[in-house]
Amino acid sequence: MSGQGLQSPDRLVYYQKFVSRNLTTRYDHPVMSFKVISARRRYLLSFLALVLLLGASLSTQYLLEQRSHGRATKLEQLRLLPKGEILRPALLGYHQLGADLLWLRVVQVLGDRVVRDKDYEWLYHALDVITTVDPKYVYAYEAGGVVLAELAGRVDLSNRLLEKGLAPNTSSWQIPFRLGFNHFFHLGDHSRAAEYMAQAARIPGLFPIGPPHYTARLASRLYVQGKNPEVALEFLEAMLDQTTDELLREKLQRRIRRISLERDLQMLEQQIRQYADSRGRRPASLMELVLAGLLPGIPSEPYGGDYLYDSKTGKVMSSTHDERMGVYVPADSLATRGDIE
Amino acid sequence: MRILSIAINTFRENLREKLLYNLLFFALLMIGSSILLSRITLGDYHRLILDLGLASINLFGVLIAIFVGIGLVSKEVDRKTIYTIVSKPIPRYEFLLGKYCGLVITLFANTVVMVVGLLIVLQVMDVPITSLVFKSLALIFLELMVITAVAVLFSTFTSATLSAIFTLAVYVIGHLSGDLKEFARKLDDVSQMAVNAIYYTLPNLDRFNLKGHVIHHLDFGMADMALTLAYGLTYAAFLLLLASVIFQRRDFQ
Repeated sequence: MSGQGLQSPDRLVYYQKFVSRNLTTRYDHPVMSFKVISARRRYLLSFLALVLLLGASLSTQYLLEQRSHGRATKLEQLRLLPKGEILRPALLGYHQLGADLLWLRVVQVLGDRVVRDKDYEWLYHALDVITTVDPKYVYAYEAGGVVLAELAGRVDLSNRLLEKGLAPNTSSWQIPFRLGFNHFFHLGDHSRAAEYMAQAARIPGLFPIGPPHYTARLASRLYVQGKNPEVALEFLEAMLDQTTDELLREKLQRRIRRISLERDLQMLEQQIRQYADSRGRRPASLMELVLAGLLPGIPSEPYGGDYLYDSKTGKVMSSTHDERMGVYVPADSLATRGDIE
Repeated sequence: MRILSIAINTFRENLREKLLYNLLFFALLMIGSSILLSRITLGDYHRLILDLGLASINLFGVLIAIFVGIGLVSKEVDRKTIYTIVSKPIPRYEFLLGKYCGLVITLFANTVVMVVGLLIVLQVMDVPITSLVFKSLALIFLELMVITAVAVLFSTFTSATLSAIFTLAVYVIGHLSGDLKEFARKLDDVSQMAVNAIYYTLPNLDRFNLKGHVIHHLDFGMADMALTLAYGLTYAAFLLLLASVIFQRRDFQ
Protein backbone atom coordinates (compact mmCIF):
# COMPACT_ATOMS: atom_id res chain seq x y z
CA MET A 1 0.00 0.00 0.00
CA SER A 2 1.29 3.42 -0.94
CA GLY A 3 1.26 6.41 1.36
CA GLN A 4 -1.53 8.01 -0.64
CA GLY A 5 -4.47 5.94 0.49
CA LEU A 6 -6.89 6.61 3.31
CA GLN A 7 -5.14 3.98 5.47
CA SER A 8 -1.83 5.78 5.28
CA PRO A 9 -0.47 6.19 8.83
CA ASP A 10 -0.03 9.96 8.58
CA ARG A 11 -3.51 10.52 7.41
CA LEU A 12 -4.96 8.20 9.97
CA VAL A 13 -3.23 10.03 12.79
CA TYR A 14 -4.39 13.33 11.42
CA TYR A 15 -7.88 11.98 11.06
CA GLN A 16 -7.96 10.68 14.61
CA LYS A 17 -6.72 13.98 15.97
CA PHE A 18 -9.36 15.79 13.99
CA VAL A 19 -12.08 13.53 15.23
CA SER A 20 -11.03 13.74 18.85
CA ARG A 21 -10.92 17.50 18.71
CA ASN A 22 -14.36 17.77 17.21
CA LEU A 23 -15.86 14.76 18.98
CA THR A 24 -17.93 13.80 15.95
CA THR A 25 -17.41 14.13 12.33
CA ARG A 26 -19.15 13.14 9.21
CA TYR A 27 -17.22 11.02 6.91
CA ASP A 28 -18.35 11.26 3.36
CA HIS A 29 -17.59 8.52 1.01
CA PRO A 30 -18.67 8.32 -2.59
CA VAL A 31 -20.89 5.31 -1.82
CA MET A 32 -22.21 6.15 1.61
CA SER A 33 -21.68 8.67 4.34
CA PHE A 34 -21.64 7.94 8.09
CA LYS A 35 -21.11 9.67 11.34
CA VAL A 36 -18.06 8.77 13.35
CA ILE A 37 -18.16 9.08 17.10
CA SER A 38 -14.78 9.81 18.58
CA ALA A 39 -13.15 7.49 21.10
CA ARG A 40 -13.15 10.23 23.73
CA ARG A 41 -16.79 10.85 23.33
CA ARG A 42 -17.51 7.15 23.46
CA TYR A 43 -15.67 6.88 26.76
CA LEU A 44 -17.52 9.88 28.12
CA LEU A 45 -20.87 8.44 27.12
CA SER A 46 -20.19 4.99 28.56
CA PHE A 47 -18.91 6.55 31.76
CA LEU A 48 -22.10 8.60 32.08
CA ALA A 49 -24.21 5.54 31.39
CA LEU A 50 -22.31 3.58 34.03
CA VAL A 51 -22.85 6.26 36.66
CA LEU A 52 -26.50 6.54 35.73
CA LEU A 53 -27.14 2.81 35.89
CA LEU A 54 -25.27 2.39 39.16
CA GLY A 55 -27.20 5.31 40.65
CA ALA A 56 -30.48 3.84 39.46
CA SER A 57 -29.78 0.39 40.84
CA LEU A 58 -28.60 1.80 44.17
CA SER A 59 -31.65 3.99 44.56
CA THR A 60 -34.10 1.24 43.63
CA GLN A 61 -32.33 -1.04 46.08
CA TYR A 62 -32.65 1.68 48.71
CA LEU A 63 -36.34 2.14 47.92
CA LEU A 64 -36.95 -1.59 48.21
CA GLU A 65 -35.08 -1.58 51.49
CA GLN A 66 -37.26 1.25 52.77
CA ARG A 67 -40.43 -0.56 51.82
CA SER A 68 -39.50 -3.74 53.64
CA HIS A 69 -37.78 -2.11 56.64
CA GLY A 70 -35.05 -4.72 56.59
CA ARG A 71 -36.30 -6.41 59.72
CA ALA A 72 -39.43 -7.60 58.05
CA THR A 73 -37.33 -9.38 55.45
CA LYS A 74 -35.26 -11.00 58.15
CA LEU A 75 -38.42 -12.27 59.77
CA GLU A 76 -39.88 -13.17 56.42
CA GLN A 77 -36.90 -15.39 55.83
CA LEU A 78 -37.48 -17.13 59.13
CA ARG A 79 -41.14 -17.60 58.35
CA LEU A 80 -40.49 -18.94 54.89
CA LEU A 81 -38.02 -21.52 56.13
CA PRO A 82 -38.89 -24.95 54.86
CA LYS A 83 -39.65 -27.64 57.39
CA GLY A 84 -36.61 -29.16 59.03
CA GLU A 85 -37.46 -32.59 57.67
CA ILE A 86 -37.23 -31.21 54.13
CA LEU A 87 -34.23 -29.00 54.73
CA ARG A 88 -32.16 -31.71 56.37
CA PRO A 89 -31.50 -33.92 53.32
CA ALA A 90 -30.87 -30.83 51.19
CA LEU A 91 -27.92 -29.94 53.39
CA LEU A 92 -25.88 -32.94 52.20
CA GLY A 93 -24.08 -33.65 55.42
CA TYR A 94 -23.53 -29.99 56.28
CA HIS A 95 -26.34 -30.13 58.87
CA GLN A 96 -24.47 -28.50 61.67
CA LEU A 97 -23.31 -25.66 59.48
CA GLY A 98 -26.88 -25.17 58.26
CA ALA A 99 -28.10 -25.06 61.84
CA ASP A 100 -25.35 -22.58 62.71
CA LEU A 101 -26.23 -20.23 59.91
CA LEU A 102 -29.93 -20.38 60.75
CA TRP A 103 -29.13 -19.74 64.39
CA LEU A 104 -27.12 -16.71 63.30
CA ARG A 105 -30.22 -15.42 61.52
CA VAL A 106 -32.38 -16.01 64.57
CA VAL A 107 -29.91 -14.16 66.75
CA GLN A 108 -30.03 -11.18 64.41
CA VAL A 109 -33.82 -11.02 64.66
CA LEU A 110 -33.64 -11.30 68.44
CA GLY A 111 -31.20 -8.42 68.48
CA ASP A 112 -33.86 -6.09 67.13
CA ARG A 113 -35.42 -3.77 69.59
CA VAL A 114 -39.03 -4.47 68.78
CA VAL A 115 -40.22 -7.99 68.30
CA ARG A 116 -43.97 -8.31 68.15
CA ASP A 117 -45.87 -11.11 69.82
CA LYS A 118 -46.82 -12.91 66.68
CA ASP A 119 -43.21 -12.80 65.54
CA TYR A 120 -42.41 -15.32 68.22
CA GLU A 121 -44.43 -17.90 66.32
CA TRP A 122 -41.91 -17.57 63.49
CA LEU A 123 -39.15 -17.67 66.01
CA TYR A 124 -40.46 -20.94 67.32
CA HIS A 125 -40.72 -22.25 63.77
CA ALA A 126 -37.11 -21.28 63.08
CA LEU A 127 -35.92 -22.90 66.31
CA ASP A 128 -37.90 -26.00 65.43
CA VAL A 129 -36.19 -26.14 62.03
CA ILE A 130 -32.75 -25.60 63.58
CA THR A 131 -33.25 -28.36 66.11
CA THR A 132 -34.60 -30.73 63.48
CA VAL A 133 -31.62 -30.12 61.25
CA ASP A 134 -29.25 -30.58 64.18
CA PRO A 135 -31.13 -32.32 67.00
CA LYS A 136 -28.09 -32.19 69.26
CA TYR A 137 -27.75 -28.40 69.23
CA VAL A 138 -28.28 -28.09 73.00
CA TYR A 139 -27.56 -24.38 73.09
CA ALA A 140 -30.34 -23.67 70.60
CA TYR A 141 -32.86 -25.54 72.80
CA GLU A 142 -31.61 -23.85 75.91
CA ALA A 143 -31.39 -20.28 74.66
CA GLY A 144 -34.50 -20.72 72.53
CA GLY A 145 -36.37 -22.04 75.56
CA VAL A 146 -35.32 -19.03 77.60
CA VAL A 147 -36.24 -16.51 74.93
CA LEU A 148 -39.63 -18.07 74.28
CA ALA A 149 -40.51 -18.30 77.96
CA GLU A 150 -39.01 -15.09 79.32
CA LEU A 151 -39.13 -12.62 76.46
CA ALA A 152 -42.07 -13.90 74.48
CA GLY A 153 -44.07 -15.15 77.44
CA ARG A 154 -44.83 -18.29 75.46
CA VAL A 155 -44.14 -20.98 78.03
CA ASP A 156 -46.12 -23.46 75.93
CA LEU A 157 -43.78 -23.04 72.95
CA SER A 158 -40.74 -23.01 75.22
CA ASN A 159 -41.77 -26.29 76.80
CA ARG A 160 -42.58 -27.83 73.44
CA LEU A 161 -39.11 -26.96 72.15
CA LEU A 162 -37.37 -28.19 75.28
CA GLU A 163 -39.33 -31.42 75.43
CA LYS A 164 -38.34 -32.10 71.83
CA GLY A 165 -34.71 -31.81 72.90
CA LEU A 166 -34.95 -34.33 75.74
CA ALA A 167 -34.81 -37.50 73.66
CA PRO A 168 -31.80 -36.74 71.41
CA ASN A 169 -29.81 -35.20 74.27
CA THR A 170 -29.96 -37.65 77.11
CA SER A 171 -26.64 -36.46 78.50
CA SER A 172 -27.57 -32.79 78.70
CA TRP A 173 -28.66 -31.43 82.07
CA GLN A 174 -29.48 -28.00 80.70
CA ILE A 175 -32.69 -29.03 78.97
CA PRO A 176 -34.41 -30.73 81.94
CA PHE A 177 -33.08 -27.99 84.21
CA ARG A 178 -34.71 -25.36 82.03
CA LEU A 179 -37.92 -27.39 81.85
CA GLY A 180 -37.92 -27.65 85.62
CA PHE A 181 -37.54 -23.91 85.85
CA ASN A 182 -40.42 -23.30 83.44
CA HIS A 183 -42.69 -25.62 85.39
CA PHE A 184 -41.77 -24.07 88.68
CA PHE A 185 -41.56 -20.43 87.76
CA HIS A 186 -44.18 -20.02 85.07
CA LEU A 187 -46.59 -22.87 85.54
CA GLY A 188 -46.36 -23.29 89.32
CA ASP A 189 -46.34 -27.04 88.83
CA HIS A 190 -43.95 -28.00 91.57
CA SER A 191 -44.13 -31.74 91.27
CA ARG A 192 -43.35 -31.72 87.54
CA ALA A 193 -40.61 -29.17 88.22
CA ALA A 194 -39.14 -31.49 90.83
CA GLU A 195 -39.22 -34.42 88.39
CA TYR A 196 -37.34 -32.49 85.73
CA MET A 197 -34.88 -31.19 88.27
CA ALA A 198 -34.24 -34.74 89.47
CA GLN A 199 -33.72 -35.78 85.86
CA ALA A 200 -31.14 -33.01 85.48
CA ALA A 201 -29.48 -34.03 88.73
CA ARG A 202 -29.01 -37.60 87.50
CA ILE A 203 -26.70 -36.54 84.62
CA PRO A 204 -23.16 -37.56 85.59
CA GLY A 205 -20.15 -35.26 85.37
CA LEU A 206 -18.82 -32.12 86.93
CA PHE A 207 -20.25 -28.71 86.14
CA PRO A 208 -20.46 -27.49 83.35
CA ILE A 209 -20.63 -30.95 81.74
CA GLY A 210 -22.76 -32.21 84.59
CA PRO A 211 -25.36 -30.20 86.49
CA PRO A 212 -24.41 -27.68 89.18
CA HIS A 213 -23.90 -29.30 92.60
CA TYR A 214 -27.08 -27.85 94.08
CA THR A 215 -29.39 -29.43 91.51
CA ALA A 216 -30.10 -32.56 93.52
CA ARG A 217 -30.85 -30.53 96.66
CA LEU A 218 -33.16 -28.28 94.67
CA ALA A 219 -34.99 -31.27 93.31
CA SER A 220 -35.50 -32.80 96.73
CA ARG A 221 -36.66 -29.53 98.22
CA LEU A 222 -39.04 -28.97 95.34
CA TYR A 223 -40.55 -32.39 95.94
CA VAL A 224 -41.29 -31.61 99.54
CA GLN A 225 -41.81 -27.89 99.85
CA GLY A 226 -42.29 -26.44 96.42
CA LYS A 227 -44.21 -23.45 97.66
CA ASN A 228 -41.64 -22.21 100.14
CA PRO A 229 -40.14 -18.84 99.15
CA GLU A 230 -36.73 -20.01 100.38
CA VAL A 231 -36.77 -22.75 97.77
CA ALA A 232 -37.86 -20.30 95.12
CA LEU A 233 -35.00 -18.00 96.03
CA GLU A 234 -32.51 -20.81 95.92
CA PHE A 235 -33.80 -21.84 92.52
CA LEU A 236 -33.71 -18.33 91.14
CA GLU A 237 -30.23 -17.67 92.43
CA ALA A 238 -29.10 -20.88 90.79
CA MET A 239 -30.59 -19.66 87.53
CA LEU A 240 -28.98 -16.27 87.98
CA ASP A 241 -25.63 -17.99 88.41
CA GLN A 242 -25.88 -19.56 84.98
CA THR A 243 -27.35 -16.68 83.08
CA THR A 244 -25.04 -14.26 81.34
CA ASP A 245 -27.64 -12.44 79.29
CA GLU A 246 -28.20 -9.02 80.86
CA LEU A 247 -31.88 -8.82 80.07
CA LEU A 248 -32.60 -12.18 81.66
CA ARG A 249 -30.43 -11.43 84.64
CA GLU A 250 -32.37 -8.28 85.29
CA LYS A 251 -35.65 -10.19 85.06
CA LEU A 252 -34.41 -12.80 87.48
CA GLN A 253 -33.03 -10.22 89.87
CA ARG A 254 -36.36 -8.44 89.87
CA ARG A 255 -38.05 -11.71 90.72
CA ILE A 256 -35.52 -12.44 93.44
CA ARG A 257 -36.21 -9.05 95.05
CA ARG A 258 -39.92 -9.66 94.99
CA ILE A 259 -39.60 -13.10 96.54
CA SER A 260 -37.13 -11.88 99.16
CA LEU A 261 -39.80 -9.44 100.20
CA GLU A 262 -42.31 -12.25 100.50
CA ARG A 263 -39.83 -14.36 102.44
CA ASP A 264 -39.22 -11.53 104.92
CA LEU A 265 -42.94 -10.93 105.34
CA GLN A 266 -43.58 -14.60 106.04
CA MET A 267 -40.65 -14.79 108.41
CA LEU A 268 -41.80 -11.72 110.33
CA GLU A 269 -45.35 -13.03 110.61
CA GLN A 270 -44.13 -16.37 111.82
CA GLN A 271 -42.05 -14.72 114.52
CA ILE A 272 -45.05 -12.64 115.51
CA ARG A 273 -47.12 -15.80 115.85
CA GLN A 274 -44.39 -17.41 117.92
CA TYR A 275 -44.21 -14.32 120.13
CA ALA A 276 -47.97 -14.34 120.56
CA ASP A 277 -47.98 -18.05 121.40
CA SER A 278 -45.37 -17.72 124.14
CA ARG A 279 -46.54 -14.42 125.67
CA GLY A 280 -50.25 -14.53 125.07
CA ARG A 281 -50.29 -11.19 123.24
CA ARG A 282 -49.02 -9.78 119.98
CA PRO A 283 -45.98 -7.49 119.99
CA ALA A 284 -46.75 -3.78 119.84
CA SER A 285 -44.05 -3.18 117.25
CA LEU A 286 -41.55 -5.16 115.20
CA MET A 287 -38.76 -3.88 117.44
CA GLU A 288 -40.21 -5.92 120.28
CA LEU A 289 -39.37 -9.09 118.33
CA VAL A 290 -35.77 -8.00 118.18
CA LEU A 291 -35.73 -7.11 121.89
CA ALA A 292 -37.23 -10.50 122.71
CA GLY A 293 -34.32 -12.12 120.90
CA LEU A 294 -36.51 -13.68 118.21
CA LEU A 295 -34.83 -11.67 115.44
CA PRO A 296 -31.27 -10.43 115.07
CA GLY A 297 -32.70 -7.25 113.55
CA ILE A 298 -35.50 -6.07 111.33
CA PRO A 299 -34.56 -7.13 107.78
CA SER A 300 -34.18 -4.26 105.32
CA GLU A 301 -36.94 -4.05 102.75
CA PRO A 302 -35.48 -5.04 99.33
CA TYR A 303 -37.08 -2.10 97.55
CA GLY A 304 -35.84 0.47 100.07
CA GLY A 305 -39.20 0.82 101.83
CA ASP A 306 -40.29 -0.18 105.33
CA TYR A 307 -42.13 -3.09 106.88
CA LEU A 308 -45.42 -1.89 108.32
CA TYR A 309 -46.89 -3.89 111.16
CA ASP A 310 -50.53 -3.95 112.13
CA SER A 311 -50.62 -5.02 115.78
CA LYS A 312 -54.40 -5.64 115.63
CA THR A 313 -54.31 -8.29 112.91
CA GLY A 314 -50.73 -9.48 113.33
CA LYS A 315 -50.12 -8.89 109.61
CA VAL A 316 -46.98 -7.29 108.20
CA MET A 317 -47.08 -5.24 105.02
CA SER A 318 -44.47 -3.59 102.88
CA SER A 319 -44.66 0.14 102.27
CA THR A 320 -43.75 -0.45 98.61
CA HIS A 321 -45.95 -3.43 97.75
CA ASP A 322 -49.41 -3.91 99.13
CA GLU A 323 -50.08 -7.23 97.44
CA ARG A 324 -48.86 -10.58 98.69
CA MET A 325 -47.60 -13.28 96.35
CA GLY A 326 -50.13 -16.06 96.49
CA VAL A 327 -48.02 -18.92 95.28
CA TYR A 328 -45.37 -18.65 97.93
CA VAL A 329 -47.62 -18.51 100.95
CA PRO A 330 -47.00 -21.77 102.76
CA ALA A 331 -50.04 -23.97 102.35
CA ASP A 332 -48.90 -27.04 104.18
CA SER A 333 -47.25 -27.60 107.48
CA LEU A 334 -44.16 -29.10 105.90
CA ALA A 335 -43.19 -25.79 104.42
CA THR A 336 -42.91 -24.14 107.82
CA ARG A 337 -40.92 -26.93 109.34
CA GLY A 338 -37.79 -25.72 107.61
CA ASP A 339 -35.32 -27.52 105.47
CA ILE A 340 -35.80 -31.25 105.27
CA GLU A 341 -32.09 -31.90 104.96
CA MET B 1 8.20 -46.10 39.82
CA ARG B 2 6.48 -45.22 36.57
CA ILE B 3 3.31 -44.56 38.51
CA LEU B 4 5.21 -42.23 40.78
CA SER B 5 6.72 -40.24 37.91
CA ILE B 6 3.30 -39.86 36.30
CA ALA B 7 1.92 -38.84 39.69
CA ILE B 8 4.58 -36.20 40.23
CA ASN B 9 4.09 -34.93 36.72
CA THR B 10 0.35 -34.69 37.26
CA PHE B 11 0.93 -32.87 40.50
CA ARG B 12 3.18 -30.35 38.75
CA GLU B 13 0.60 -29.92 36.03
CA ASN B 14 -2.17 -29.38 38.57
CA LEU B 15 -0.17 -26.70 40.30
CA ARG B 16 -0.50 -24.67 37.13
CA GLU B 17 -4.31 -24.69 37.36
CA LYS B 18 -5.60 -21.24 38.26
CA LEU B 19 -8.87 -22.72 39.47
CA LEU B 20 -7.02 -24.48 42.26
CA TYR B 21 -5.74 -21.24 43.72
CA ASN B 22 -9.11 -19.57 43.41
CA LEU B 23 -10.80 -22.35 45.33
CA LEU B 24 -8.03 -22.41 47.91
CA PHE B 25 -8.33 -18.67 48.37
CA PHE B 26 -12.06 -18.89 48.97
CA ALA B 27 -11.63 -21.79 51.37
CA LEU B 28 -9.17 -19.81 53.46
CA LEU B 29 -11.44 -16.78 53.26
CA MET B 30 -14.35 -18.82 54.59
CA ILE B 31 -12.29 -20.36 57.38
CA GLY B 32 -11.12 -16.88 58.34
CA SER B 33 -14.60 -15.43 58.16
CA SER B 34 -15.65 -17.72 60.99
CA ILE B 35 -13.78 -15.33 63.32
CA LEU B 36 -16.04 -12.54 62.17
CA LEU B 37 -19.22 -14.61 62.32
CA SER B 38 -18.40 -15.91 65.77
CA ARG B 39 -18.60 -12.34 67.01
CA ILE B 40 -22.20 -11.85 65.98
CA THR B 41 -23.56 -15.17 67.12
CA LEU B 42 -24.94 -15.97 70.54
CA GLY B 43 -23.55 -18.73 72.69
CA ASP B 44 -21.32 -21.47 71.46
CA TYR B 45 -18.85 -19.72 69.16
CA HIS B 46 -16.41 -22.66 69.28
CA ARG B 47 -19.00 -24.63 67.48
CA LEU B 48 -19.41 -22.10 64.69
CA ILE B 49 -15.66 -21.83 64.07
CA LEU B 50 -15.14 -25.59 64.00
CA ASP B 51 -18.20 -26.09 61.89
CA LEU B 52 -17.43 -23.47 59.31
CA GLY B 53 -13.79 -24.51 59.18
CA LEU B 54 -14.45 -28.22 58.68
CA ALA B 55 -17.30 -27.58 56.26
CA SER B 56 -15.13 -25.24 54.17
CA ILE B 57 -12.32 -27.77 54.00
CA ASN B 58 -14.80 -30.44 53.02
CA LEU B 59 -16.72 -28.42 50.45
CA PHE B 60 -13.74 -26.82 48.76
CA GLY B 61 -11.86 -30.11 48.85
CA VAL B 62 -14.76 -31.72 47.00
CA LEU B 63 -14.88 -28.88 44.47
CA ILE B 64 -11.14 -29.16 43.86
CA ALA B 65 -11.39 -32.94 43.57
CA ILE B 66 -14.19 -32.66 41.04
CA PHE B 67 -13.00 -29.78 38.91
CA VAL B 68 -9.39 -30.82 38.77
CA GLY B 69 -10.19 -34.54 38.63
CA ILE B 70 -12.52 -34.41 35.62
CA GLY B 71 -9.86 -32.96 33.36
CA LEU B 72 -7.29 -35.59 34.18
CA VAL B 73 -7.87 -37.90 31.26
CA SER B 74 -10.14 -35.91 28.98
CA LYS B 75 -7.65 -33.07 28.78
CA GLU B 76 -4.93 -35.47 27.65
CA VAL B 77 -7.27 -36.82 25.01
CA ASP B 78 -8.21 -33.34 23.83
CA ARG B 79 -4.61 -32.21 23.62
CA LYS B 80 -3.70 -35.48 21.93
CA THR B 81 -0.89 -35.86 24.45
CA ILE B 82 -2.45 -39.19 25.34
CA TYR B 83 -0.90 -40.72 22.19
CA THR B 84 2.59 -40.10 23.41
CA ILE B 85 1.82 -42.01 26.57
CA VAL B 86 -0.28 -44.91 25.34
CA SER B 87 2.24 -45.60 22.61
CA LYS B 88 4.91 -46.14 25.25
CA PRO B 89 5.21 -49.51 26.95
CA ILE B 90 3.23 -48.38 29.96
CA PRO B 91 0.13 -50.33 30.92
CA ARG B 92 -2.89 -48.06 30.81
CA TYR B 93 -3.87 -48.83 34.36
CA GLU B 94 -0.50 -47.51 35.50
CA PHE B 95 -1.14 -44.29 33.67
CA LEU B 96 -4.55 -43.97 35.31
CA LEU B 97 -3.23 -44.85 38.74
CA GLY B 98 -0.42 -42.35 38.33
CA LYS B 99 -2.91 -39.67 37.39
CA TYR B 100 -5.04 -40.55 40.40
CA CYS B 101 -2.08 -40.47 42.77
CA GLY B 102 -1.00 -37.13 41.36
CA LEU B 103 -4.40 -35.68 42.06
CA VAL B 104 -4.44 -37.17 45.54
CA ILE B 105 -1.06 -35.53 46.21
CA THR B 106 -2.49 -32.23 44.95
CA LEU B 107 -5.49 -32.63 47.20
CA PHE B 108 -3.28 -33.49 50.12
CA ALA B 109 -1.21 -30.35 49.62
CA ASN B 110 -4.38 -28.28 49.40
CA THR B 111 -5.92 -29.89 52.44
CA VAL B 112 -2.75 -29.28 54.42
CA VAL B 113 -2.88 -25.59 53.54
CA MET B 114 -6.55 -25.38 54.58
CA VAL B 115 -5.93 -27.37 57.77
CA VAL B 116 -3.08 -25.08 58.74
CA GLY B 117 -5.44 -22.15 58.19
CA LEU B 118 -8.05 -23.80 60.39
CA LEU B 119 -5.55 -24.66 63.11
CA ILE B 120 -4.34 -21.06 63.19
CA VAL B 121 -7.90 -19.82 63.54
CA LEU B 122 -8.63 -22.38 66.28
CA GLN B 123 -5.46 -21.39 68.11
CA VAL B 124 -6.18 -17.68 67.84
CA MET B 125 -9.76 -18.10 69.02
CA ASP B 126 -8.77 -20.42 71.88
CA VAL B 127 -10.83 -23.31 70.64
CA PRO B 128 -9.57 -26.60 72.10
CA ILE B 129 -8.09 -28.81 69.39
CA THR B 130 -9.09 -32.40 70.14
CA SER B 131 -8.09 -35.64 68.47
CA LEU B 132 -11.60 -35.77 67.05
CA VAL B 133 -10.77 -32.79 64.83
CA PHE B 134 -7.96 -34.79 63.24
CA LYS B 135 -10.12 -37.89 62.91
CA SER B 136 -12.72 -35.79 61.17
CA LEU B 137 -10.10 -34.26 58.87
CA ALA B 138 -8.75 -37.71 58.02
CA LEU B 139 -12.21 -38.87 57.01
CA ILE B 140 -12.81 -35.71 55.01
CA PHE B 141 -9.65 -36.52 53.09
CA LEU B 142 -10.86 -40.07 52.60
CA GLU B 143 -14.09 -38.69 51.17
CA LEU B 144 -12.05 -36.56 48.79
CA MET B 145 -10.17 -39.68 47.70
CA VAL B 146 -13.42 -41.46 46.91
CA ILE B 147 -14.79 -38.44 45.04
CA THR B 148 -11.58 -38.19 43.06
CA ALA B 149 -11.87 -41.83 42.11
CA VAL B 150 -15.43 -41.15 40.92
CA ALA B 151 -14.20 -38.17 38.89
CA VAL B 152 -11.42 -40.26 37.35
CA LEU B 153 -13.89 -43.01 36.52
CA PHE B 154 -16.20 -40.64 34.65
CA SER B 155 -13.28 -38.88 33.09
CA THR B 156 -12.23 -42.09 31.32
CA PHE B 157 -15.33 -42.25 29.13
CA THR B 158 -17.04 -38.85 28.94
CA SER B 159 -16.22 -35.22 28.37
CA ALA B 160 -15.08 -32.96 31.18
CA THR B 161 -18.43 -31.17 31.54
CA LEU B 162 -20.40 -34.39 31.72
CA SER B 163 -18.04 -35.93 34.23
CA ALA B 164 -18.32 -32.82 36.39
CA ILE B 165 -22.10 -33.15 36.39
CA PHE B 166 -21.98 -36.90 37.05
CA THR B 167 -19.46 -36.57 39.85
CA LEU B 168 -21.47 -33.81 41.52
CA ALA B 169 -24.52 -36.04 41.19
CA VAL B 170 -22.67 -38.92 42.84
CA TYR B 171 -21.63 -36.57 45.65
CA VAL B 172 -25.25 -35.56 46.24
CA ILE B 173 -26.49 -39.14 45.96
CA GLY B 174 -23.73 -40.31 48.27
CA HIS B 175 -25.02 -38.05 50.99
CA LEU B 176 -28.63 -39.05 50.47
CA SER B 177 -28.13 -42.79 50.08
CA GLY B 178 -28.85 -43.26 53.79
CA ASP B 179 -32.43 -42.27 53.03
CA LEU B 180 -32.70 -45.08 50.49
CA LYS B 181 -32.43 -47.55 53.31
CA GLU B 182 -35.22 -45.74 55.14
CA PHE B 183 -37.43 -45.96 52.07
CA ALA B 184 -36.61 -49.61 51.63
CA ARG B 185 -38.00 -50.39 55.04
CA LYS B 186 -41.46 -49.36 53.90
CA LEU B 187 -41.44 -51.52 50.76
CA ASP B 188 -42.30 -55.16 50.16
CA ASP B 189 -39.59 -57.81 50.32
CA VAL B 190 -38.55 -57.90 46.65
CA SER B 191 -38.36 -54.15 46.17
CA GLN B 192 -36.68 -53.89 49.52
CA MET B 193 -33.95 -56.22 48.33
CA ALA B 194 -33.56 -54.26 45.10
CA VAL B 195 -33.37 -50.91 46.87
CA ASN B 196 -30.96 -52.32 49.43
CA ALA B 197 -28.76 -53.61 46.63
CA ILE B 198 -28.67 -50.10 45.15
CA TYR B 199 -27.93 -48.69 48.59
CA TYR B 200 -24.95 -50.95 49.14
CA THR B 201 -23.54 -50.30 45.66
CA LEU B 202 -23.72 -46.52 45.94
CA PRO B 203 -21.12 -44.82 48.08
CA ASN B 204 -22.44 -43.77 51.48
CA LEU B 205 -20.51 -40.56 51.88
CA ASP B 206 -22.23 -39.72 55.14
CA ARG B 207 -20.01 -42.36 56.75
CA PHE B 208 -17.09 -39.96 56.31
CA ASN B 209 -18.91 -37.11 57.99
CA LEU B 210 -17.64 -36.62 61.53
CA LYS B 211 -18.38 -32.91 61.75
CA GLY B 212 -21.29 -33.56 64.09
CA HIS B 213 -19.09 -35.72 66.32
CA VAL B 214 -16.52 -32.97 66.63
CA ILE B 215 -19.04 -30.31 67.51
CA HIS B 216 -21.07 -32.39 69.93
CA HIS B 217 -17.99 -34.07 71.42
CA LEU B 218 -19.24 -37.55 70.57
CA ASP B 219 -16.58 -40.19 70.67
CA PHE B 220 -15.67 -42.04 67.49
CA GLY B 221 -13.91 -45.25 68.46
CA MET B 222 -10.81 -46.66 66.80
CA ALA B 223 -12.70 -49.71 65.55
CA ASP B 224 -15.22 -47.48 63.80
CA MET B 225 -12.41 -45.40 62.42
CA ALA B 226 -10.58 -48.45 61.06
CA LEU B 227 -13.73 -49.84 59.46
CA THR B 228 -14.55 -46.50 57.86
CA LEU B 229 -11.00 -46.19 56.53
CA ALA B 230 -11.22 -49.71 55.11
CA TYR B 231 -14.59 -48.89 53.54
CA GLY B 232 -13.30 -45.72 51.88
CA LEU B 233 -10.12 -47.30 50.58
CA THR B 234 -11.81 -50.41 49.19
CA TYR B 235 -14.51 -48.32 47.54
CA ALA B 236 -11.91 -46.04 45.92
CA ALA B 237 -9.93 -49.11 44.78
CA PHE B 238 -13.09 -50.59 43.28
CA LEU B 239 -13.79 -47.39 41.35
CA LEU B 240 -10.22 -47.20 40.09
CA LEU B 241 -10.31 -50.80 38.93
CA LEU B 242 -13.53 -50.12 37.08
CA ALA B 243 -11.99 -47.02 35.54
CA SER B 244 -8.95 -49.05 34.42
CA VAL B 245 -11.13 -51.67 32.79
CA ILE B 246 -13.03 -48.99 30.87
CA PHE B 247 -9.87 -47.14 30.00
CA GLN B 248 -8.21 -50.31 28.76
CA ARG B 249 -10.98 -50.87 26.23
CA ARG B 250 -11.17 -47.28 25.12
CA ASP B 251 -10.18 -46.46 21.55
CA PHE B 252 -8.57 -43.07 21.04
CA GLN B 253 -9.28 -41.54 17.68
